[in-house]
This record gives sequence, structure tokens and C-alpha cells, in this order.
Amino acid sequence: MRSLTLRIYRRLAFAFPQEFQMVYGADVIELGEDAIDDIQAQYGVWGLARLLADIAVRVPIEYLSEMRRDLAYALRTLSKSRGFAAVGILSLGLGIGIASFSASEFLNLILRDAPGAVDPSRLVIAMGTSYPYFEHYRDQHDLFSGAAAYQGPIPFNVSLSSGNASTKAERVFGHLVSPQYFSVIGVRASRGRAFDPQIDRTGSAPVVFISDQFWRDRMDADPDAVGRTIHVNGQLATIVGIGPKGFRGVVPVFPAEIFVPTTSPAAMVPELAGDTLHKRDAKVFQALFRMAPGVTLTSAEAGLDTLTRRLDEEWLDPARDVKGRRVALVPGGEMVPIPREMVPVELAMALLLNSLILSLACMNLANMQLARASARRREVAIRLSVGASRFRLVRQLLTESVLLACAGGAAGVLFAYAGAAGFRTISLPSALPINLDISPDWRVLLFAFAVSLASGIGFGLVPALASTRTDLTSTLKEGALAQLRGYRRVGIRNLLMVAQVAGSLMLLLIAGFMIIGFQKSNEFRIGFDPLRMYLISLDPVRDGYSGEKAADLFAALPARLKRAPGAEEIALTEAPPFGPLITNSMVTAPSDSGTREQVAQKIAKETVGANYFAALSVKVIEGREFDVRDQDIDTSKTESLPVVLNEVAGRAFFGNHDPLGRRLLETSRAYHVVGVVKDLSAPMSETEAGSEIGPEVPTVYLPLTQNDFAHSPAGGMIVMVRAGRGRDTLEGVRKEIAMLDPNLVTFNVRTLSEQMDRTTFVIHLVTFFYGGVGGFGLILAAIGLAGVTAYSVARRRKEIGIRVALGARQAQVLRLVLREGGTLVIAGSVLGFLGAVGVSRGMEAVSSTFGPTFAAGSHDLRLIFGAPLLLAGLAMLACYLPARRSTKIDPLNALREE
Amino acid sequence: MAKPESFLPLKTNWFHILLSLAGEDQHGYGIMQEVLDRTGGKVRLWPATLYGTLKRLIEAELIVESGERPPQEADDSRRRYYHLTRLGRRVLDAESERLQDLVRILHAKRGLEVIQ
Repeated sequence: MRSLTLRIYRRLAFAFPQEFQMVYGADVIELGEDAIDDIQAQYGVWGLARLLADIAVRVPIEYLSEMRRDLAYALRTLSKSRGFAAVGILSLGLGIGIASFSASEFLNLILRDAPGAVDPSRLVIAMGTSYPYFEHYRDQHDLFSGAAAYQGPIPFNVSLSSGNASTKAERVFGHLVSPQYFSVIGVRASRGRAFDPQIDRTGSAPVVFISDQFWRDRMDADPDAVGRTIHVNGQLATIVGIGPKGFRGVVPVFPAEIFVPTTSPAAMVPELAGDTLHKRDAKVFQALFRMAPGVTLTSAEAGLDTLTRRLDEEWLDPARDVKGRRVALVPGGEMVPIPREMVPVELAMALLLNSLILSLACMNLANMQLARASARRREVAIRLSVGASRFRLVRQLLTESVLLACAGGAAGVLFAYAGAAGFRTISLPSALPINLDISPDWRVLLFAFAVSLASGIGFGLVPALASTRTDLTSTLKEGALAQLRGYRRVGIRNLLMVAQVAGSLMLLLIAGFMIIGFQKSNEFRIGFDPLRMYLISLDPVRDGYSGEKAADLFAALPARLKRAPGAEEIALTEAPPFGPLITNSMVTAPSDSGTREQVAQKIAKETVGANYFAALSVKVIEGREFDVRDQDIDTSKTESLPVVLNEVAGRAFFGNHDPLGRRLLETSRAYHVVGVVKDLSAPMSETEAGSEIGPEVPTVYLPLTQNDFAHSPAGGMIVMVRAGRGRDTLEGVRKEIAMLDPNLVTFNVRTLSEQMDRTTFVIHLVTFFYGGVGGFGLILAAIGLAGVTAYSVARRRKEIGIRVALGARQAQVLRLVLREGGTLVIAGSVLGFLGAVGVSRGMEAVSSTFGPTFAAGSHDLRLIFGAPLLLAGLAMLACYLPARRSTKIDPLNALREE
Repeated sequence: MAKPESFLPLKTNWFHILLSLAGEDQHGYGIMQEVLDRTGGKVRLWPATLYGTLKRLIEAELIVESGERPPQEADDSRRRYYHLTRLGRRVLDAESERLQDLVRILHAKRGLEVIQ
């Protein structure tokens, strides 16, 4: 027992850190040997165990103490070279910050599940379904274990009543849902109950379900909220339940605060007016399904498609002959319903940019560490020669780079949160509230931090090992001039430098392509002063108007508003002019004499009133634009609606043939073309991959009709008023509206110019972001190059000294030094350029999101020549500054050092 | 030089080691034995802890490795001797005073208790 204890004891004593061992190792062993008999005699076996436990605990304590000293030493060294530390921390921090922020944003939007949903991967959504179709879909029990229909987000005018008084009505967005909605998502009420098909039936008293957010923000978390009545669009309704925390509907990027069942009276929900629930052509609902076990999105889609074709035939849908899929399912239960096939492309782009940024930052750190390691070789050699162990020195150097990496990581987290906080204050150009929850994702932060730590260890270890493996005598003699072993002229540093220039140029070019592409495809072309057009939103049905009364109001409105001083042109529209347009309609031009059937998959539809194009100074090329007669059309009685096309749409459907009088078909509607107008620019609209470059989007304009007036869209009906100079037209317009009905609420009053600013805000944001990314690449490249050149100058001090002593002129020396940097810059630029062009061509080919932007931006000559020149210029400047030092070398000093 | 008060209250191990060096220079084994004897076997400084503490005391400049060796007949040539520095002595004094104060306070309280 005694000898075993002693053997273990000795082993443990050898595990002490080397410094401790050198001084106390022998003493500890000796004392143990001397005391063991005494200990055994006094305490028995427990004493032996205690002896071992004492040394076993002490070993890690000594290591911790060494680490603390290393850390303190590292802090001292870093604080001595503050510039080095600041640049390292800042560049790594910016890299991690930008990469984490954009990756988090991406993850939150694309890959995050909707809060509150149970097993969200089983949820799918079919957009644009009518209620009768939905009722047939619902019965497909082999495909779906649950189905619900919803519409939204739609606005509700909500006021809380307390006693007899009620608060001022506020516009709150919510969902109109069939009673199965909550059970399909798997949401339970945190208080009260969710809707239930057994309880919530047509004709029962009006009820609403509110979100947790609504309950907290607008009802001060009133514990008696369930059972209270509130006014919804002027009607009394009882709150039956409150949602769980975080639940904001099935598509939370457009948050819903209030949920109203489809069993509500039409007086409360204008969307239900006109017997919407029984109209096969009212494709205004989204169908939400929970797939049965074993069913995939593809098989569910195929099943629904077959059923829909059968129903189309049975119900003689006008578009029953249209080819292509009739139903498209998108994944539900996520922040944004994005078709699955789009995710990989988006993911690849995000991954590419973020890893470029992150690896540039890491490469920079590596380069700086290498330069520093070679500069500190004399210090290392001295410490080695006075007996420091190699392990100890490597540990010391490693501690420094890990400390630097950690500080960089911490700065990165800070930058990411600052970026997110800044982003949250921004309002996006949308009539609907948008919930972009972009708080940095902890997984991303953790990953980025791990990468920086790994780069700190990796790039600290390599130079540390190299610098401690030197020939002491020559290093001490030569100082910082000796070569690091294994780092010849075409060494790892130069390769890193080429990679860095290439990466930076790639980043700069990709950022540039995105910026210029975005700006080119998002230009406004407008024929008048946008400051002189006012946009005023009205929503009379939500102010308690009936459909007929609303239609009468809109019929009378233009003539009334013309009386306002300075009012020149008045028109109505559902969406503000100049987009952004949503290109999700599929319209077919059936074959006719001389033309083949033409299906256009991505067409924008705009519903506009009489005099719309005249008000916008858009030229009517052929036929006519809409007039008051079109507004009187009753859509339920008309077979075919008149439509106006823009030029690109005309060409897309009919080529060079005359579009006037031709027919067009959509899923449930038929149209005839009555006019063709010049293209209006529509910035920020989606365009198809490989489609024509530019801001023109193929658009079919439909007339505003009685039906539209009775169901105004989420943003309300927009009145456009174009005014002459120098008059306060807006005040006059407001007075005229008040004279028509003082209770009519006008909201969202802005000039066209303000509306355009809101649209282009995203462009500015994108420009700012990618500009920042590009600039970041530039700065990193410059820092790296300056470091390399400074190192090379230091390394060749003696050689330069000899050259100067032999009569070399300053310019010759400078050229010599710059040649090295120049070669690296050129090699890096060529690689970077090829890389960026490759990425851009790839994106053009595969991505519908980035393709058009790259197509528009990647042919810009300013960029193709300017970016490499800018980078090369900056790089040469970064080389020149340290190179100039080489000309100041005093040959006598340089030679004497030998 | 650090102020003696900055070391107070002194850790038990530190106090025992400083105390055993108060009389004469000692080596590690001697310190261990002295503490054992002084405390009647109640306090044992285990070897690794003892040398860890000695290292910290040297770093804190409370003790130094002694250059002088005892007379040849008493010298154990394998061993290293440790010597109390001036700072070490002042720290020991300060700690003793602190302990004395505590004892005084305790006595005073006891005295009061008796009167009551």
C-alpha cells in the first residue's frame, strides 16, 4: 500500500507545470517520502488517501495560477502594442458582427418556426383558395389530419368599451379564421378558450380571440379580459380567449393581434359580405393544412391538384383549360412561408457572403499574428536561452492570440446587437405591420465566436510553434531578420496575402454588383413632381358603411375633391403607384388566329380606378384607360372584365400582335384588353430569373368595381390627388372629405414623394449594408498588405543596407520593395475577379431572388474596372507607407547589426 | 512595497508558515514538523499544499529562499531553507495584533456578560 501510494504520488508530482516542477518538484517528492511513514502511522489508509488527494488537487491549481500569469502577461504585452490589438479586435469584431447579424436575420426569417405552433413542419399552406374549394380539401382525410381556412392579415377598427364610453377606434391587424384554425396549428388559449367548430356556428353571438400582445399592450393585461366585450368594426363582440405568449398567427412575419371567426356576421367583417363563403371564384382565403403522418408536401400537392382539376371541370371554372399546376403548397408554421426550393439558393448566398466576411477577418488575424511572431523572435530566443521551456513559451504566445480572439468575439457580439437594435428602429415600406424579429440568434453568435476562437488558437499556434523552433545563435545575432523556418518567400504568409486580396476583391465586387444591380432595377421614372401628389387612405366599410354606401361614396368622391383649391387630377387605386408589385398571378392568353397559347407565370395585377394613368401622366399607347363606366360593373354578372396592359405585358402575351380586344384567362376570371399603356417603373418588385432587366414589371390593370369598394384592401382605398403649385390643396381635400362625412377616417396621408422614399428605403439599406461589407473588405486588405510589406522591409533591412551602401538610389530600393507587394496584389486581384464573376454568373443562372440584381449589376463597367483599381490603389498605398521606411535605412546601422 | 494590512486576514496556511519562520530559518520538512508539534498534531500542512503555499509566499515577497545555511552538523544539504522578510515579519505582526484585538473584544464581552 505504501509503495503504491508513493508511486502514484511521484507520478502526480511530475504532472505539475514545468516552472513549478523545476523549483519545487524534487522537494515535494522528498517531503512526501519523508512524511509517508509518519502519516500512515497517524491516520492509517485515510492518511495515504489524503496525501494523494492533496497533490491531485494541487496540480490543477498550479496550472490555473500559471494561466493567470500568462493572461496578465498577455494583457501587458497587448496593452504595449495597442495599435496591433485595436486593429485585430476591431477587424475580427466587425467580421463576426456583420456575419452574425446577417446570418441571424436569415435564420430568423427563413428557418425559424412560428412561435406557438405544434410540430410546425407538418403544416402547409395553399395560397388563394375559395371557401367552397377549401370545404372539399378539408375532407381529404387520407392527406390531412386537420384543415382550416384563414384570411389575413386584414385590418379591424377596434375600440375597447369601458362602461358606456368606448375608446377611440384603432386599426389593428388580424386574421379571419375558420373555427378549426387554432386546433390545426396546435395552439391552446392561455386564458378562456380557442374557437371550436362545435361552439362557434353561424348565427351565434359575435366573438373574438386576442393575442397575448394585444392583451398586454391594449388591455393592460386585464385579468378579467375574457368575457369583456369590445367593438370590432363598430359591432360588439365578446372576447372568448387569449393566445399563448409569442403566438401571432401562423405567418408571424405579418403579425395578427386579433382573430375573428368566419361565423361572424358580415356587418362585423366586411370581407364576408356578398356571401364570400359560398362563392367559388372568391379565392381570398389561405387554406392551412396539417399533413397526415407519412404524407409529404409533394404528395399532398399532387393530391390537391387532382382534386382541384376535378372541381374546376365540375364547376366549369373559366380557367379549367389552363396548363400547369393548379395548387401550390408552401411550408406553413415558419416565420415566412417560402417555397422549399428557394431555401438552398438563399442559404448558399448567405453562407457565401458570411463565410467570406468571417474568413477575411480570420485571415487578417492570422497574418497579423505571423508578422508579430517574426517580430518577436528575438524576445522568444532570449527567453528560450535563459531556460524557459518551449511548451511554456508556446502557451504564452497562444494565450495572447486566444485573448485577442476572445476580445474580437466579444466585440463581434456587441456589434451584432448594436446592428439589430439599429435595424429595429427602421420602419419598412409596407401598409401592413411587419414583425422582423432580428435579435441575433445565439446559435449563430456561438458559432461565430467558436470560429474566432479556433482561428485564435490555430493562427496563434502555427507562428508560436515556428518561432520557438529557431536556431538560437543565429536568431540572437540577427534579431528580427532571421527567417521563420518553413516560411520561405512563397510561404504561407504570401499565400494568405493573395487569398486576402482575392477575398476582399470578391467581397467588394459582389457588394458592388448587388448595389448597382439593385439601383438599376429599382429606378423611379416619373413624369411630374412627386411632391405635388397626395395619397390619402380611406376605409369606409370599417367606419360602418355598407357596401352600397361605400360604392356611392367613392363614385361621388372624385368630383367632390376636384373642388379643392389647386386639385388637378383625382384617381382611386387599391395600392400606391410605383409598386412594389407582387408578381404572383398566372394569366393565360388563349390561342387565337395566328398566335399560340401563352401562359405567363409571374404577372402583377393592379386594381385601379378611372383616370389613374392620366393622374400619373402615363401615356395611353393604344385603346383607352378606365373611366367611370367601368366602376359600375357588377363582377358577379359580367363574364369578362375589361383590362389594361402595360407594354411588357402586351409583348409577353401577344408578341408583335395587337393586344386590343384579345382575351385573357385567369383561374376564375376572363378578361378582354381595352388598352395598352406605357410601362410604369415599379422598384422593389419581384422579377423572374433571367427576365428582362429593368424596373418594368408585366402588369395587368383591372378596373375598380362596386365589389372592390365594398371590400377595400388591407391598406384601405387610396385617393390620389395631384395638385398645382403653391396652393394648400391637402387642407382643401380634407375639408371636402369632412363635408361628405365628418366621421370618415382618413389615414396614412402622405405625398407620393414620401411614399417613394419609403419604398426606396430598403434600397438605401441594402446599399448601406453591402457598401459596408465592401468597405470592410477593402480596409482588411489594406491592413493585411501593410503588415506584409512592413514585415518584408524589416526582414530585408540588411540586404537593403548593403544595396544602399553600394550606391542604390532611393527609387530603386522602393521599386524593389514594392515589387513584392505588387505581385501579390495582382495575383489576388485576378483570382478575386474571377471568383466574383463566377458567383455572379452562378446566381444569375439559379436564383430568382438575386439573379436579376446580378444580371443588372455585373455588367457595369465602372465597377468591373473601378473596383480592382480601387483595391489595387489602396493596396499599393498600404505597401508604400512601410516601404518608404526602407529608403530611410541607414546602411551603417544596418550593417553594424550583424 | 505592499502594505501589511493588504494581506489581512491571513490565510491559515500562510499564518502557520510565517509563524514557524518567526524564530529561525526552516526547510519544508521542518516547517511541517514545527506546525504539527505546535498544534499538538491538529494541523498538518500536506506536502503539495505546503510547497504551493511557499511559492505564493515567495511571490508575495513575505519570505525568501535563505542564502545562509545552519552550522554544518545541523545542515541537511538536500534541503532548501526559507527566511522571513521584513514585510513578512510586519504582516505576521499585523495579523497577531488583529487576532489579539479579537480576543480582547471577546474578553470584554465576556466581562460584560459576567457583570450583567
